[in-house]
Amino acid sequence: MNDTVIHAPPLLDVRNLTVRYGGHLDHAAVRDVSFLLHPGEALGIVGESGSGKSSIAGAILDFLDPSVRIDGQILFEGRDLTRLSRKDRRAVLGRRIGSVFQDPFTALNPALRIGRQIAEPIVRHLGVKPYEAARRAVDLLHEMGIQRAEEVAGAFPHQLSGGMKQRALIAAALACEPPLLILDEPTTALDVTVEAQILRLLARQRQQKRVSLLFISHNLGIVQRLCDRVAVMYASQFVELGTVHSVLEQSAHPYSKGLLASRPPLRAAARGNRLPAIRGQMPSMPRPDTACVFTPRCPFAEARCTEGAQVLTAASPGHLARCWKADQVGDWPRQGVEAIDQGPFRPGDALVNVTRLRKTFSARRGLAAWRLSVAAGRPRLRYQPSEVAAVDDVSLSVSPGEVLGLVGESGCGKSTLGRLALRLLHQTAGSVEFDGADLSHVSGSDLTTFRKQAQIVFQNIGSSLNPRLSVGEAIERPLALFGLAKPHERRQRVEELLDMVRLPSSYRQRYPHQLSGGERQRVAIARALATEPRFIVCDEPVSALDVSVQAAIVNLLADLRDQFGLAYLFISHDLAVVAQLSDRVAVMYQGRICEIGTPAELLASPRHPYTRMLLAAVKEDPMPEERPAGYQVATSALGCAFAARCPHCLPSLCDTTPPPLRTITASHEAACHFELSSETRHEVASVSTIIS
Amino acid sequence: MAARLTDAVALDVVAARRSPLPRALIIGATIVLVLLIAAALAKVIAPYPFDQMHIRDRLSPPSLHYLAGTDEYGRDVFSRLLIGSQLSLLLGVIATLISMGIGVPLGLLAGYRRGLTDEVIMRALDIMMAFPPIMLVLLILAVTQPSLVKTAFAIGVLSAPPIGRVTRSVTLDLMSGEFMEAARARGERLHYVLRRELLPNVWPLLMVEASLRVVFAVLLGAVLSFLGFGVQPPAADWGLMISDGRAFVDKAPWISLAPGIAMSITVIGISLLGDGLREVLDPRMDGRR
Repeated sequence: MNDTVIHAPPLLDVRNLTVRYGGHLDHAAVRDVSFLLHPGEALGIVGESGSGKSSIAGAILDFLDPSVRIDGQILFEGRDLTRLSRKDRRAVLGRRIGSVFQDPFTALNPALRIGRQIAEPIVRHLGVKPYEAARRAVDLLHEMGIQRAEEVAGAFPHQLSGGMKQRALIAAALACEPPLLILDEPTTALDVTVEAQILRLLARQRQQKRVSLLFISHNLGIVQRLCDRVAVMYASQFVELGTVHSVLEQSAHPYSKGLLASRPPLRAAARGNRLPAIRGQMPSMPRPDTACVFTPRCPFAEARCTEGAQVLTAASPGHLARCWKADQVGDWPRQGVEAIDQGPFRPGDALVNVTRLRKTFSARRGLAAWRLSVAAGRPRLRYQPSEVAAVDDVSLSVSPGEVLGLVGESGCGKSTLGRLALRLLHQTAGSVEFDGADLSHVSGSDLTTFRKQAQIVFQNIGSSLNPRLSVGEAIERPLALFGLAKPHERRQRVEELLDMVRLPSSYRQRYPHQLSGGERQRVAIARALATEPRFIVCDEPVSALDVSVQAAIVNLLADLRDQFGLAYLFISHDLAVVAQLSDRVAVMYQGRICEIGTPAELLASPRHPYTRMLLAAVKEDPMPEERPAGYQVATSALGCAFAARCPHCLPSLCDTTPPPLRTITASHEAACHFELSSETRHEVASVSTIIS
Repeated sequence: MAARLTDAVALDVVAARRSPLPRALIIGATIVLVLLIAAALAKVIAPYPFDQMHIRDRLSPPSLHYLAGTDEYGRDVFSRLLIGSQLSLLLGVIATLISMGIGVPLGLLAGYRRGLTDEVIMRALDIMMAFPPIMLVLLILAVTQPSLVKTAFAIGVLSAPPIGRVTRSVTLDLMSGEFMEAARARGERLHYVLRRELLPNVWPLLMVEASLRVVFAVLLGAVLSFLGFGVQPPAADWGLMISDGRAFVDKAPWISLAPGIAMSITVIGISLLGDGLREVLDPRMDGRR
């Protein structure tokens, strides 16, 4: 940071901002928040869901319901936004403040072309003629690193990928060259490789146009990459504020320490390893006037913590923390590591065996599949149904007690694979064997036995439980269905199951909407456990959860695995979470397994270019340059699925010949024509594939 | 642009204002309750027998003697209104029960099974919807002797397709829920899934639809009586009363107006009740139980 930036008048000066829903102070979503944002600076606001971080953006952007009471001042370029008339305020928003939100999939109007949506603010705020604005829109798209910008400008939103849409939205937000850009979780809905691209784009825009960023996120890693200063928010208050370096490297507040500690590290973990988690959950109606609101979850708490409100005090110059003992707090406690290196399973002794599995979905059939073409001057009508292979020639196995991680970006077919393994979908070709029996031939009582032994835990905490069934009813159902407990024993068994997932037995009578996300996921796990399964497909079980809760659920899954010898197929897009829990990890791209190995092998010496790209995206390494593929990545039916994006691609080979799964060590295999070594980026085409 | 709230905050906001019942529910329930009591106690409340003629007071305007005036035979309109409400409400309720009995299971099945089952059920319902309802009811009633049960049945069958459609669309929505997939992963039987997993979630919206159907049945019943195919004179019925009053609209508008107003109040009351019930029943719309 240079001094001139610090001494310039602030661009945004928020003073004692309080946002109340429903009039009571108890329902304040934001409480007495003050911060400065200087021109060209990037401030990150980090917090878990419900901490009030989005309400700050809402207050600045005037997005909140009119019934919401906003106190305090929001000085932007010296003017208090809260006192401006609606009309004046609208002139500031869009013109002087740009904004980008989490969900690029719904933020664009599906009925308007992209170019028009970017040109709209230019016409409206700058009074530029429409055709001139349309030209500028194309330039802006080009600046956002979009190839073939003119084509994209003429496209409708549904024709673009999520990353493309978010680029278009950033282009629209920057259209009037505003000095301030407010971003609310702009990359949360995107894949990690796309996220890395968007972050690089934002960093570049910031540098070139000297835009200030107010960046709201739950992800500490992203804030670290992009911001100069960071505020940590907990239960409606800032608990820590300082430079990125001081807050993330020398955090003073126990909550910040806990958040940082509960992030799974990107490295292979021993079986006995557990993540340090923050116990309990954030209070929904905090009362910070009488005590520190973090006390119930704080391992450093003592009597004095509940003897009055905590104030933000300087831990070091320019670094504020809301904790009276900030200077005495040590490291967040880590849980003991038991030395279990190897699971109780024997490789080769498979519980689930998937062989050459293939599942296709028809993308076009019925009337839509008729195509009109003109051949030799004659129109011809042909029936051309098209199919998409969601899972394509996949073979893998899971041993009893083993955790197989499955990583890939959205749409790669990992969830389909999980559902095929449970016979929730029927495969097009190939076979799934469970305990030696081919599932496609299982029926009647054998099928019931299989259903009992193989269960599933889902990602979507909003819909994994029936909103009309109480927790007790939901967990009791499998007991009744499979006759696992006599009617009078069921209640006791339900309480045992709740205890297994660390929930009090009183939760039996609760309904899903009365539970937090983490609690719902625990109930869903208890419901799966109720059948006493041997194999559980965990489909992104922690993706929808906050970091501190995520750590607790990952630990719970690890505990249950060790206690009952469960085998998991653990599906996630997050390599760090997968590495934490898995014995082996499979990386999936467009329906195929491109690399499989132990977490240590995969993280230390990834052999497939796609694995490398995934790792680089989360490690903040310079990403390997992708081949420019425009806005549609087509898979060639013949060659390597990744060829279109691969920096190492040799078109004559990769586009025509499918890469074989090459054995690197006994447990490590990769599907690539090249032997990419761990040290160098230079590759040697293997002789065998060229000959074939 | 709508307020962007995080889940936790939104829950708290709802919790804060959960205590009072929705105003629609209170007003609607009051109106319906008063109507039901009035209908049940019609014989007691009514100042005169519904068919008693007061020849000297023919076509007299509303007064303290005759609260809603008298008709061309000198019968007390208010008493006839009360007695008539019995038939109208009974018709509405029976017809709606019949239509739900047919429409809900079909809608659940179509939405859950999809594919061929869905096509067959929905196309069959479409064909039924394609008939002009009055024509069909008239046809049924014209070839047989009119009776309340038959009228109710005809209207009920006619109202089944819209109920089926609503049920199916809600079911389709629920099918994407992961709890449905969890049920399949347990190998649940059709009966359990429809009754325990789906039906309770369909109820809130069905309440609204059912209230609309009651209204529809009451109105259609009145139309039939008006056309002379429903309740036969000298019985008292709102539709019949409007029909009878037609000839005297210029001299004695109260004969037609009074049942018209009664019908409007009934319609409004039931609709408000349905709306209010949905708000209370939907677990996502209240804070805590």
